[in-house]
Amino acid sequence: MRQALLAALFSALALPPPAAARDVIAGPPRALSVTLYRAPWRQGGSIELGNLGGFALIKETRTVHLPAGDSRLRFEGVVDGIQSASAIVTGLPEGVIEKNRDAAILSPAALMRAAIGVQITLVRTNRKTGKITRTPATIRSADENGVVFETTQGVEALRCSGLPETFTYDRVPAGLFSTPTLSVLTRAKRETTATVTLSYLADNFDWAANYVATLTPDRRALDLTAWITLANGNSVSLLDAGTQIVAGRLNRARDYADSGEGGPRVIATCWPTGTTSIPIAEPPPPEQPRTSVAEIVVTAARKSVPMAMMAPAPPPPPPPEQLGDLKLYRLGERTTVAARQSKQVLMLSQAAVPFTRTYGADLYAGGQGTFTPATIILRTRNDKANHLGLPLPAGHLELFDHAGNEELLAGQADVRDTAEGEDVELKVGLAPDVQVRQTRLAYRAGEPELTFLTPELLLALHKGRVVEEAEITNAGAAPAPFELRLQTWNALHVSDADQPMGMKDGRPIFRLTVPANGRVKVRYAVGGP
Amino acid sequence: MRFVSLGSGALLLGLVASASALAQPAPQPAADISVTIYNNNLALVRDVRTLDLTSGRQRLEFKDVSAEIRPETASLTAQGVNVVEQNFDYDLLSPAKMMEKAVGRVVTIVRTNPATGAESSEQAEVLAVNNGVVLKIGDRIEVLRDDGLPARVIFDKVPENLRAQPTLSVMVDAAGAGARPVTLRYLTPGLGWRADYVAVYDETASKIDVQGWVTLTNTSGVSYDAAKTVLVAGTPNLAAMDDGDADEAADASTGMTQAGTETGNRARLGDFYLYPLAERTTIANQQTKQVSFLDVRGAPASHGYETRLAWMQTIEEPRSVQSVYRFSNSAQGGLGDQLPAGTVRFYINDKQGAPQFIGESPIGHTPMGSELSMSTGDAFDVKVKSVVESRTRNSLFHWKTAMRYTLSNALPKPVTVALIQDGLWGETRILAESQPSKRRSAESAEWTVEAPANGKTEVTATFDSKY
Repeated sequence: MRQALLAALFSALALPPPAAARDVIAGPPRALSVTLYRAPWRQGGSIELGNLGGFALIKETRTVHLPAGDSRLRFEGVVDGIQSASAIVTGLPEGVIEKNRDAAILSPAALMRAAIGVQITLVRTNRKTGKITRTPATIRSADENGVVFETTQGVEALRCSGLPETFTYDRVPAGLFSTPTLSVLTRAKRETTATVTLSYLADNFDWAANYVATLTPDRRALDLTAWITLANGNSVSLLDAGTQIVAGRLNRARDYADSGEGGPRVIATCWPTGTTSIPIAEPPPPEQPRTSVAEIVVTAARKSVPMAMMAPAPPPPPPPEQLGDLKLYRLGERTTVAARQSKQVLMLSQAAVPFTRTYGADLYAGGQGTFTPATIILRTRNDKANHLGLPLPAGHLELFDHAGNEELLAGQADVRDTAEGEDVELKVGLAPDVQVRQTRLAYRAGEPELTFLTPELLLALHKGRVVEEAEITNAGAAPAPFELRLQTWNALHVSDADQPMGMKDGRPIFRLTVPANGRVKVRYAVGGP
Repeated sequence: MRFVSLGSGALLLGLVASASALAQPAPQPAADISVTIYNNNLALVRDVRTLDLTSGRQRLEFKDVSAEIRPETASLTAQGVNVVEQNFDYDLLSPAKMMEKAVGRVVTIVRTNPATGAESSEQAEVLAVNNGVVLKIGDRIEVLRDDGLPARVIFDKVPENLRAQPTLSVMVDAAGAGARPVTLRYLTPGLGWRADYVAVYDETASKIDVQGWVTLTNTSGVSYDAAKTVLVAGTPNLAAMDDGDADEAADASTGMTQAGTETGNRARLGDFYLYPLAERTTIANQQTKQVSFLDVRGAPASHGYETRLAWMQTIEEPRSVQSVYRFSNSAQGGLGDQLPAGTVRFYINDKQGAPQFIGESPIGHTPMGSELSMSTGDAFDVKVKSVVESRTRNSLFHWKTAMRYTLSNALPKPVTVALIQDGLWGETRILAESQPSKRRSAESAEWTVEAPANGKTEVTATFDSKY
């Protein structure tokens, strides 16, 4: 009753109702759960530690003690990448009146700006005698153009006199917090203790699948291991959190990053300080060594992949559960996702996946060029018959082969989101032993209609015709299966081939075998309609 | 908001000076602030307070108005008061500005003896401030701190036109002295709002729970204390202003497949809906604030798949189709409210019953009774592959194209996919197709394709195009 009366009185005075609200700090987070999502624009490949484009859904439970009446409930220590618009608070007895995210983080600049117009203490130290003088002063302005303050002596500018000088403040102004803080205005009929669940999306997380494929000794199959590499680029650690990973690409609406922390900056800029003698420019800083710190970190991260293979890994987590049209992986134990940390967890381990190795080239019909190496293509199918048959989330694959007693990197490929039953095709690199050259043997012009066009387009547009030859060489000691595909756009078509020609996805294909230490030639004609 | 009257009038408020003993911002004089916020980064601020005016001409100074105020829109009204002129001063106080304004004036130089620490002071005239400060001390000319030794410069006062914040000052002519309410009204960017929706979809019941929150942001540089706040769902045209936001809004997908024709019962302003906040609220600078405006449980909704091909193209690597959620905001069988523009975030409960985020979608201003269809992202298990099987030319401007579409489904249940072929430019007819299509427009055809559980469905079509 008294509270209500007080509130009424306040509103009559047109004072902010929040003044009547009491500040309540929510207890520390418990029962933390974090679900990581990959960067929506990355369809494959690894994460970049310096540029984590993914995000996470964070859920936490906190105990709060609410007095009767209005309370401003503060959740301290939320992750700094929080997208406050996504915050959901449940479990409050009377619900939420409003949610606020204040960007007012306690910093030297925020402290000084909050003190504009109020009395603080100016502290000067005499360099010779060590005597400290404290003078009452008032800050008149503080922004990126400098700081002006006033004492009983007059008006001065900070950091212009060459004297050691600074300000001290009596207390931290209300409304500045040391950690990112979300607050909720709520109302309770009587004093109560509640368990509140807070969930929100936060930026600066990411994850990717890192596949390690090791060829079996007979090189007809590969042992496939996949690691989940997840990273937290925020400055808040998620301790002992139930961790989930969601595979698949999600739509994100426009990026609503919260406004910058702490508001505008304050820089103690002085007035022009030129002198009669312009000092000799400082020598440029010594050139940075060519290997930057970041590169060292990346190298270390790469090395950790095969090293991690050496140690016996914990068993992979159970297969993912269906989450709408996405896949949710639960990482068995509760883990700690520390600030500025990346960690790896085993995702799957499948032994002896059979595959076929093919060489391939994809050339323009009607084009020509010099010898270029063929692409190495590994093919399998994501099904039980091939010891797979489980979702393969997008990521990066490293292929290892045996050389003597050592396992060495033999190729790399990006992996896209691959559903069960899909064909898997990995272009792991180029084969220097298998080379392709396309030569135009004869060209016959048709009716020239549009002479400014390229020969390829001319062929398509009028009755031109070209005869060309593709030569494939194999320096390897084994016969090489080879697929030559031709890109025929518009109404170009390929005819009169001297080798059997098939069609794949609407385009001509020659499936050839290049003998060991030998060569194969294909001759065909390309013409317009 | 501090509020001081200078000039011939009496000093209105001693509060600012007396408050400086506290390390807290000065207490604010009781002001009645109303803020009306539009979607396109624009707000109308109305500030009413009682001022004790003297008779005749006087200058009223409004410090801490929005730093982004459009001063030409400011208007001051009070009983028996005529506005003579309005000024907006944005020459801000800084050390460099203060020194520039001191040219030709006398300042005090205090030097500290480096050997003894003793201070000595003398008067100096500032001659010039050009890449350095030239002083006249007695009959000698000196460059300030040319020797690098410490020297304080003390100015008598802050020059009159330099201010810590941009300040609006209004010269008024009051007929008679006395206290009266004064209203200041202005438009300012830096305040804006949008809607954020939390949509939890129940897969087994095909129902959706939707909560709507208005999210308002303040980057205008000042706080609005205990403001009566009204949000306007609409974007008034801004004449002669670069209005990138409005253009963007027009381009963005709105999720609306059919615009509604039902009238809501919310308050209106012309063609716009109003969302007044139930209580006065303080909109702090750099703050993001959310207030609930919608809470609907168990509205019917459905889930489906959609894929759209921009032109007759070959996609060799199967591409995920879009996962789409459909619902209505009709009063019957829907959310029963018009929806201001913003973002809808979709959640689904996982096997342990915890809601998990599955994607988000922009939404435009949506009148009541509309049909909405929103994509949350890729379907991991449902993919499309399209192949141009052949393309033949009858003449330079007459082509025939044979397409084959393969829809694969790795889910253990059958799915229905809306397969949309866009880019049917010119006069394009479908000569043959493996199942009937619906022509959405001259440029677009749609097939409703059933893909069996763990299986594939193929659709073929031959197009005849004349340009």
